[in-house]
Amino acid sequence: MSNNKVSRRQFLSYTLTGVGGFMAAGMLMPMVRFAVDPVLQKSAGGDFVLTDKKVADITEVPERVDFTFEQVDAWYKSDVTNTAWVYKEGDEIIALSPVCKHLGCTVNWEGDPAHKNQFFCPCHAGRYEKTGKNVPKTPPLGPLDQYEVRVNDGLLEIGKAIPNTLV
Amino acid sequence: MHWNGKDSAVFQAQKEFIDTAVIPLTLIDGSEHGFQFAASAADFTLSLGNVIENQFKGRIVLFPSFSYTSNQDKLTLFENWKEEINKAEFKHIFFITSDREWNTMGEEQNVIWIPSVPLESMDQKMRNSILEDQLRQLVPIFAKKWAN
Repeated sequence: MSNNKVSRRQFLSYTLTGVGGFMAAGMLMPMVRFAVDPVLQKSAGGDFVLTDKKVADITEVPERVDFTFEQVDAWYKSDVTNTAWVYKEGDEIIALSPVCKHLGCTVNWEGDPAHKNQFFCPCHAGRYEKTGKNVPKTPPLGPLDQYEVRVNDGLLEIGKAIPNTLV
Repeated sequence: MHWNGKDSAVFQAQKEFIDTAVIPLTLIDGSEHGFQFAASAADFTLSLGNVIENQFKGRIVLFPSFSYTSNQDKLTLFENWKEEINKAEFKHIFFITSDREWNTMGEEQNVIWIPSVPLESMDQKMRNSILEDQLRQLVPIFAKKWAN
């Protein structure tokens, strides 16, 4: 019994080590948390917006699909609705941005009866082929942007706009 | 284009393409029976203005609304606005409104009268589809004027 006695010196050193350990941990933990923070971020998949368009319903004819997401502009939150022209090319799903590369109007599929199978911009008669390639001698100087797409449980998800990869 | 600094710079640089002004006309009514209706009609007119701007962004400038009360001399104000906006060398000026009083001005003054739809009772999706429908009816009116 007397052999297990803790001396005053030992007791003090144990106590100090314990308290010191807590203090060191208290300082180090936030640093470690900051260091590994990028690893803990949510994955970039949050950029995709779920639409109510069934992938099985998409055809070879471009069709309008609206998708809505919340936009935070400083303190002002609003729901923004964007549109995409979606069609199937073989098995691949293509989603094109409807924003004309000239001055930003909205283009329509076969908007001009005189030009079938093309996107048409009603502002200055700009035209694009089905791939989004701008028709020469019309005002636009570049192809329509494309959206990243993926399929989630049979429904179409639309991501961010990227430069056209088809032309 | 909107009536803001960024878009107006584009307008100044691209005047040959951006040649149309769109101005919403909205009635301000403070009376008890007219207040809500006027507010709802203004909401509709302004929302429609934004939808038009979205469709024809590269050809029009959407101005802030021209608001008036019922006892103001609308026609003089109207002419003043036109005169001022013509200074910016617009080829076409369209006015959009849901106020019945402009109905008689008709097409030669380019006042497009659209009966107001109470948007406040609808959810976002319904609102959008109503406004899209209205827009579809307006596109030929714009196209016709532009073709001349």
